[in-house]
Amino acid sequence: MPEFGTETFFATIGELNAKLKARQFSAAELARAFLERLEKLGPRYNALALLLRDSAIRQAKTADEEIKRGRLRGPLQGIPFGAKDLLSVGGQPTTWGARPYATQVFDYDATALTKLSKAGAVLVGKLAMVELAGGGGYRYAAASMFGPGLNPWDTTRWSGGSSSGSGSAVAAGLVPFALGSETWGSILTPSAYCGVTGLRPTYGLVSRYGAMALSWTMDKIGPMCRSAEDCGLVLRVIAGGDSADPGSAGKSFYYGPQYVRPLKEVRVGFAPVDFEEWADPAARPDFRKALEVIRGLGVQMKETQLPELPYGAVAGLIIDTEGAAVFEPLISSGRVDELADRKQIAGLKAALEAPAKDYLKAMRIRRLIQQELRKLFVDFDVLVAPATRGPASRITEPLDRRYTDRQKPKSRGLSELGAAGNLCGLPALCLPCGLAEGLPIALQLVGRPFTENTLLEVGRQFQQRTDWHRRRPVGV
Amino acid sequence: MPMKLTRRELAAAVAGAAPLAAQAPPATPETPAEELKAAAERLRRNEEAISKFALPMATEPAFCFKV
Repeated sequence: MPEFGTETFFATIGELNAKLKARQFSAAELARAFLERLEKLGPRYNALALLLRDSAIRQAKTADEEIKRGRLRGPLQGIPFGAKDLLSVGGQPTTWGARPYATQVFDYDATALTKLSKAGAVLVGKLAMVELAGGGGYRYAAASMFGPGLNPWDTTRWSGGSSSGSGSAVAAGLVPFALGSETWGSILTPSAYCGVTGLRPTYGLVSRYGAMALSWTMDKIGPMCRSAEDCGLVLRVIAGGDSADPGSAGKSFYYGPQYVRPLKEVRVGFAPVDFEEWADPAARPDFRKALEVIRGLGVQMKETQLPELPYGAVAGLIIDTEGAAVFEPLISSGRVDELADRKQIAGLKAALEAPAKDYLKAMRIRRLIQQELRKLFVDFDVLVAPATRGPASRITEPLDRRYTDRQKPKSRGLSELGAAGNLCGLPALCLPCGLAEGLPIALQLVGRPFTENTLLEVGRQFQQRTDWHRRRPVGV
Repeated sequence: MPMKLTRRELAAAVAGAAPLAAQAPPATPETPAEELKAAAERLRRNEEAISKFALPMATEPAFCFKV
């Protein structure tokens, strides 16, 4: 078996694919190397839910045979990856990160995983997550049956949630890429905290069949990778219509950066207050530099801000009430008390009592929000803002108290872009863009529905001019 | 049935909003009963935030989630 060094563990999909094609190593050898690393280092970050050794070796051997016969399935063939434990793998436990579901087994695979398997990618493990993807709201990073997601950059810090294991595993070089899911922040936050490139696709672009539901109208599945280009390669495979998902948009995605219009025609909106006041002071210098890099791409930059609407309250009410409806059997049975986070238990219980009129009012205001965002995107192709206000929080820090002692800026800027973007099903790309307190920080790019190629091209060009996505934690 | 809001209707709707109202968080609840009370209070605050919006009767709930 060849020696695998850190260069391999932190290689992009394109780099690994080139080495596989050049027969520098086989897919089976690569899978074994990543399995060993995931098994050894995954527990260090509470990132591993389940190692899938036997099936991974089997899939990798199939990839080797096909490559040998010249049956090439594309750039993901023979590439190992991990999946958030909210995606079902037939015959294997799918825990949703929650003790009441610790022994749950489905007899079918999630569509996204089936598609990756058909493309020849090799699933090496399922990755830890915040219990029930955080439905009900949680107070501590430890809200998971796997323990708190620990950040490979500093294990006293959180890896972010709810795709905590996906963020840690990519950042620590335990998998070349991973699947995560986002209802409100669950791909972007761990991507930002762990310094990986994450893509939240347009609602409905990737099938959610076989994924845990938290909010039927807001759940999305997307890739967390080493680069924007890798996100495009993975999205191309997992996107597509699926009659098994009622929310499916019935659209496919072809990753084609060459077809994106020249960046000098791309109109980018930003709000200075996001970078100068909302951002943590320690993060502001690198955020400013990153914004200048975006400007240097030749795009048309113009200031803007979100209209004054209650994005957070609307998103919160919708997720709370849909989540309580999803987990009504868990709540009513009393087994909800087995969850790890007390705030989350109470949040689910309380939301079950929310009146239907409040949900419907939230959904009516959601329409208004969609209308306003549509108007905003008449003038812009991309909105750019910090993905999070600063670097990862401390593991012991109550997540609901982090910024409560800080004076809020007078202007909203784009600070509620996370809630607004998720309410409107908009795609977003998380781009590592610097360090604060020695930890990664990142930008988010948000576009109109189905404009992933534009976001990915801005991201790709940003990453050609910076190396933040190439930085890796010390000692892994 | 017209579904879009005019600028005037939107202005009227958002006029009741209290943007960026900073509220000191209550103390961290110590018992499950207090936690449940706090969760109900969070829901009530969200409900209060959206109740200030006087929407035209014709505004239907969103049913498309990618616009």
